[in-house]
Amino acid sequence: MSQRSMPRSFKALIPLSVLALTLSACGGGAGGGDGDGGTITIGYSGPLSGGAAIYGENALTGIEMAVDTLNEQGVEVDGEKYTVEVESLDDQYLPNNAATNAQRLVEQDDATVVFIPHSGGILAAQQLNEGRTPFIIGAYSSDPAILESGNKLSNMIPPNFNGYGPPFVEQTMGKFGKRLGMLGTESEYGQNWAKLVSEEWEKQGGEVLTDNGVDYSTVTDYASTVSKTLSENPDVIFVGGPSQPTALVIQEAREQGFKGGFIVMDQAKFEEMELFTDPKNLVGSVGVRPARDGDDPGVPEFHKRYAEEITDEKPATSEVAYHFQTTAIYVKAMEIAGTVDDPEAIEEALPEALEQVDDTFKVSEYPTTVNDKVHFISENLEAVFYEGKDKYTLFPVPAPEE
Amino acid sequence: MDLFLQQLVNGLALGGVYCLAAVGLSLVFGVLRIPNLAHGALYMRGAYGTYYAMTALGVPYVAPIGIAAVVLAAVGVGMERLIFHPLRNSPHTHHMIAAIGAMFFFQSLIQAIWGADFRQMPSPISGTLSLAGAQISWQRIVIIVAAVAILALLAVFMKRSVHGQSIEAIEQDRTGASLVGINPDRVSMLTLGLAAALAAVAAGLVAPLNLLSPTMGAALDMKVFAIIILGGLGSLPGAIVGGFVLGIAEAMASTYISTGVSEAIAFVLLVGVLAIRPTGLFSPAVSR
Repeated sequence: MSQRSMPRSFKALIPLSVLALTLSACGGGAGGGDGDGGTITIGYSGPLSGGAAIYGENALTGIEMAVDTLNEQGVEVDGEKYTVEVESLDDQYLPNNAATNAQRLVEQDDATVVFIPHSGGILAAQQLNEGRTPFIIGAYSSDPAILESGNKLSNMIPPNFNGYGPPFVEQTMGKFGKRLGMLGTESEYGQNWAKLVSEEWEKQGGEVLTDNGVDYSTVTDYASTVSKTLSENPDVIFVGGPSQPTALVIQEAREQGFKGGFIVMDQAKFEEMELFTDPKNLVGSVGVRPARDGDDPGVPEFHKRYAEEITDEKPATSEVAYHFQTTAIYVKAMEIAGTVDDPEAIEEALPEALEQVDDTFKVSEYPTTVNDKVHFISENLEAVFYEGKDKYTLFPVPAPEE
Repeated sequence: MDLFLQQLVNGLALGGVYCLAAVGLSLVFGVLRIPNLAHGALYMRGAYGTYYAMTALGVPYVAPIGIAAVVLAAVGVGMERLIFHPLRNSPHTHHMIAAIGAMFFFQSLIQAIWGADFRQMPSPISGTLSLAGAQISWQRIVIIVAAVAILALLAVFMKRSVHGQSIEAIEQDRTGASLVGINPDRVSMLTLGLAAALAAVAAGLVAPLNLLSPTMGAALDMKVFAIIILGGLGSLPGAIVGGFVLGIAEAMASTYISTGVSEAIAFVLLVGVLAIRPTGLFSPAVSR
């Protein structure tokens, strides 16, 4: 109800906000006149407190690292020097908060690009970003639902997870057998993944056992659900949620005597799980490739910098790497388009920007094209079959139809 | 059969943790007449205290739990003095708001110190025991034995020591207890301290099986509140029976019904018990 009444009250606010914008534009203009150059604000709304805080912080770290590097290298748009800044707001993983934050970042901080790292928040912001004040959403979610609205100013950043289904199933069913146990997390994202894997498993002629998914974040002890899953004698188990609890679920299954394979959802990363369980427990799993082992030219330098500047207690995951890389792509697109505040022009400049981005920033399955759903596509995506710490067999993951 | 045995042990271990946490919450309710919504946050701090003592101070297992319990007892006493004591004459809603405030404060404090990352406590007790086809980890056996031992000690403390008896006296009749010379302020401090220490022990025991995070207490909060209402508010035997019943019910429901039901079973049991016995399984000696 409040949403329906919002546009009316906003209309009343237009004259006021126009006044405010004019005033602030005057202020900005005066600053520019002093020779300081302008400012490009990159917006970010993600979970910075609560259970998903670490995920949100990782994404933000990637943007911040890119901003530092870009400022060192110098950014010039339409002949004028610019400083890049990041403005972040906490949305506690809530879709409505993400949409409100995005609006605030665009209206108050003049952000033209806002990164949001969760599908709920992206879907909510997609209701706003083609409206009165258009802005670009840097959409970090592998959930294909965010492509369905056909939003032309919302770029999906990571690979679409539908692509993982067929090769993941093929790899594990061939090696271990036809019975699949289900033990993924019960988030909306986890359930979409579970559906994808179980449908593909049946399509390839396997048998899917009872779904024993539990919400990884509310369970005090995983032992009983693991026991239940193992009682049906699966050959392969689908697991996944945040890396750390996933590692414990895998460990529990091994301790209870499970010898088969695991299909690991893309949210869980091998390089993080290795810190929480003995790597030998993970042997026989398929999952996404660790960020530090990518082929892209900027990978070694990026991870070295992360260890030196951010922390050496944990590895930089793909969230950090993708946000680092994509921030640079957007700023390059602004340089090419010759504008910092026209989303359509920046969006149009993306394909050219992909060719011109400095190698330093190519750190995570660097995209080669932007498809007609404005999704960044990496053609040579590969996933791994885990055989031990730093020992993997790579296999290709073809891009799915969108 | 081996699956049943496996799940029984899993359920008992989980029940042990629930009990230790619920007993403290029940005592606080009995004495202060308030639902301490920050109890899960105390549990979370207990886990971090154990973690810190173990990793930073390097003391071997068991001792860190003791250290955390002592620190948390001090935190509990501090909470009583700084938060609940000044509010003793205000309406009950104020206590609840203050407790929620304390919960958020503790979460933010821990996040500021240790960050939002999941942390794992290195388990000093590893390996599993094969028993009639079931694989039972030693850590779970330790949890069950420790929980039973601590609950037995608590029962002796409550029934035999002057302090325990004074807690019970205040629970039964605050004014009457004051008339015979029991200082209710001191008993309130003792109770919150004891409750926080028990929560710390529960957290320290389960920490090697689970992960530490600033929000780990939230999931427990819901369960322990269900337990103490199930058992009868303020009743010690109620909290103990309720804790084990819930732990076993969760394990069995996930085995023989579904994992979804296992998450909801606490509330199904709660509704069932309240329908038949509105005061809970064990109503306290004197109800007001």
